[in-house]
Amino acid sequence: MKETKNIVLAEDNTTLSQLLKFRLQKEGYTTFVAQDGKQALELIELQKPNLILTDIMMPFISGLEVISHVRNKLQLQTPIIVFSAAGQEEMVLKAFNLGATDFMAKPFSPNELIIRIKRILT
Amino acid sequence: MNTTTINIIIQIIHYLFFTYAFLAIFSYIFLSLISASETIDYFKKNSFVNYKKILSSNIAPSISIIAPAYNENLNIVDNVRSLLSNHYANYDVIIVNDGSKDNSLELLIKAYDLVKTNYLINPQLKTQPLRKGVFKSTNPAFEKLIVVDKENGGKADALNMGLNISNSKYVACIDVDCLLLEDALQKMVKPFLEATKKKVVATGGVIRIANNSIIKDGKLMKINLPKKLIERAQILEYLRSFLLGRMAWSRLNGLLVISGAFGMFDKKIAIDIGGYDTSTVGEDMEIIVRMRRQLEEQNVNYKVAYIPDPLCWTEAPDNYKIFISQRNRWTRGTIEVLRKHRKIAFNYKYRNLGLLSYPYWLIFERFAPVIEVIGIIYFGILIALREVKWDYALAFFILAYLFTFLLSLGAIYSEELTYHQYKKKKTGFKLILISLLEPFILHPFILYAAVRGNLDYFFNKKKKWGKMTRKGMGNINK
Amino acid sequence: METFKILQNYFQQLPIELKLVWVLSAVLTVLAIIFTVYLKFLRNTLREKDVLSVKYQHKYESELLSYLFEESDEGELSNSQNEFIKTIQSKCDNKFKRKIIVETLLKLKNEVSGEIEIAIQNLYLKSNLKEHAYQQLKSKNWCIVANGIKELAQFKVKEAYPEVKKLIKYPKKEVRKEVELYLVSLFHFEGLDFLNNLKINLSEWDQIELLEELKNFDNQEIPDITLWLNSKNDSVVSFSLKLAKIYNKYETVETLLELLNHKNQKIRIQVIDVLTHLQVLDAKEILKNNFKKSSEEEQIAIFKMLENIYEPNDEAFIVENSTHKNFEIQYLALKILKSINEKTFNKLASESNYYNNNVVLKFVQNN
Repeated sequence: MKETKNIVLAEDNTTLSQLLKFRLQKEGYTTFVAQDGKQALELIELQKPNLILTDIMMPFISGLEVISHVRNKLQLQTPIIVFSAAGQEEMVLKAFNLGATDFMAKPFSPNELIIRIKRILT
Repeated sequence: MNTTTINIIIQIIHYLFFTYAFLAIFSYIFLSLISASETIDYFKKNSFVNYKKILSSNIAPSISIIAPAYNENLNIVDNVRSLLSNHYANYDVIIVNDGSKDNSLELLIKAYDLVKTNYLINPQLKTQPLRKGVFKSTNPAFEKLIVVDKENGGKADALNMGLNISNSKYVACIDVDCLLLEDALQKMVKPFLEATKKKVVATGGVIRIANNSIIKDGKLMKINLPKKLIERAQILEYLRSFLLGRMAWSRLNGLLVISGAFGMFDKKIAIDIGGYDTSTVGEDMEIIVRMRRQLEEQNVNYKVAYIPDPLCWTEAPDNYKIFISQRNRWTRGTIEVLRKHRKIAFNYKYRNLGLLSYPYWLIFERFAPVIEVIGIIYFGILIALREVKWDYALAFFILAYLFTFLLSLGAIYSEELTYHQYKKKKTGFKLILISLLEPFILHPFILYAAVRGNLDYFFNKKKKWGKMTRKGMGNINK
Repeated sequence: METFKILQNYFQQLPIELKLVWVLSAVLTVLAIIFTVYLKFLRNTLREKDVLSVKYQHKYESELLSYLFEESDEGELSNSQNEFIKTIQSKCDNKFKRKIIVETLLKLKNEVSGEIEIAIQNLYLKSNLKEHAYQQLKSKNWCIVANGIKELAQFKVKEAYPEVKKLIKYPKKEVRKEVELYLVSLFHFEGLDFLNNLKINLSEWDQIELLEELKNFDNQEIPDITLWLNSKNDSVVSFSLKLAKIYNKYETVETLLELLNHKNQKIRIQVIDVLTHLQVLDAKEILKNNFKKSSEEEQIAIFKMLENIYEPNDEAFIVENSTHKNFEIQYLALKILKSINEKTFNKLASESNYYNNNVVLKFVQNN
């Protein structure tokens, strides 16, 4: 039996997060949505997802802190894909330095995201 | 002295009081109308601005948030986290630990993986020296944070240290326990960037009272009206002062003060004029007055702007003791600043600053409480001498009360029609109630504090900042 | 009734000024009562509006998502999709609903690209939402006009061009700005033609918005900016300098070097910054020659340039200015000197009296 893969998505734009949740569901993934960094970390600790998607700019705990926490404090190797608004190269470098797996600039194509997710999760 | 002379003197005194009251009332109406117009204008111009573009832009100018801290260990970690999560690309946060006696520094070092670094400080402004040094984080997620531990020198001194350390073009000087909304920085920097004819040198933000509001994890979750009457009365007062007062002064380019809790400056100008004055308790007003004065002397075409958006939420005194202490300090600050810069009074060389702002502040802000108290004492004397014309007294008191109530209503309407922050059901009624009560439960204490302030200023030189006991803003779960 | 008579008598015998005061008080009381009562209605209306707004947001959000996820045959829309389009058309007349619909569309459109973005775009066009935007262009209220232009820009409605172009000389600058943003959003660099004849100043904020808009495109065809660099309008010069920096316009070096003599100091400093970014070594000689007559701000900019593109032959100049009274310049000078020639640096440090207990020197030595 095929195991369902869990994904935690940290994104505060509800329309976008719903869209991604549906899209991922179509591909057979279960998505847990968090509205901010703190919620994201709680979900990650609870659900132990196979993949983490996170926006960089979020209220209170930024996406960078999420990556840092997952890699350093939780010591997990879960793949992390980061989104960020275009033009923040510095942020992207920091994200990779902290251990992000991949990055997509906003606005991004959900289809392409799916392709990358599939590639990472197989 | 015969009775006719006494009568004439009494008449003159009455007319003087009457004229003063009349001018004050007229000025309030005038300022309210201008404020309303300016706020609506601001609203229209900014209703379709896309702030998101600026927030991620690398071309947007650099901003340093400077927050002095003294014995803030209760909430400093959460406050710093909140400051670090602002949605602006190009900024850093400078926390100046001003010789705190508690373990604020240790808490920060632990929470943010800080290590001591070698930092070359440009001593443009004279400050108290460093104590434990300058700290930065080893974690790239907290790269924006700089913590400076220095010997105690007071808020102005700490801000000057922040100015020395900052490498940014603009600085936002705030109180460390102020909650800044995510888009506060881009909204505050906009006036600087939009200006084409005048040079904007400083912008001020509206301070909102956060008492009883739900703040979770450094984010403003729900806005509630505070429970205590004194807190509610202050909300009303802030609304009147900001939405019906400061917006007008901004339009007239006559602002003399930007709240010390949240203000943004052009860093170079702030340093060029000498930074904050450490010898006054009204340093937030003093720097603006001095800045304007020097710019007038240099004939620069400048402007001090104001943003009506609710961007900064802070805790207001919730008991009378601390409230009086705070207002006492504000009074002494105002007196100190007005006396220090008395040269510009009625001086046409300083244009609006000297001919409009300073006189208004002197007559209707600094002296108003004094005149009111003198009026009350005079009234008391009349009562004792049984000289009171009760017809007149009754008629005028009622008129004055009604006028104050309507002004408060005006402030409430301004708020409802623009930002409508208090959404819960009974709040309208509560605001009306507090408008009716405020002249009795807040105003007398303001007068008392102002009198104490005057006395302390002239006779008691030992008072300084006083203590604002922190109740802590975070994690109020309701 | 008796009390009323008593009050009436009392009022009659009052002097005129008191009568006036009481009349005024009565007027104020009436106003106070009216406004107090109206406040309740106002708040209720606002509250209902908020509740409705949230309700509609959720409704349109889920309907939009259903629309986007319909399995459809190539190019053909399903029945329910057509239903949705019709629903939008019918709701269009209600300003409130229309606003929420457009907001919902944009909320998603701004975050995604590719198929889904195109689907949203087509939805906008098919459902005739753009007609209302056109209507807004004709409004007498400038705020509404600006909003209309903005919407047409966000949904990239090219056919609106003739109508929008007419508004380029609109008296209100907010509207003009929206026109400029529209032109740039749709026509990228060609949309910048208005810079050729621009008389008014482009504020920093405007420039940032335009540049951010331009960033959205893969820039193959960046036009020649020399014309703008030589503009009489300083804000246009400043804007093109930003373009030169962002898009690495090496071919403009000649013009840039000439601009080092521009009469506006801010421009000169900006030019130095761009030349630093483009690593134009030739600039150094000119700047070193002008150093003494330059203002302190320019001198700092020059040293920042040297910090980035120093060469061994700059050593003499650096040493000459290593005792400059400006803190920042002193620091940069010592730092650069240490990198160019550590021997000279150490010699300077030990031999010159000037550096006894000099904080800057100690810092450079230790870092």
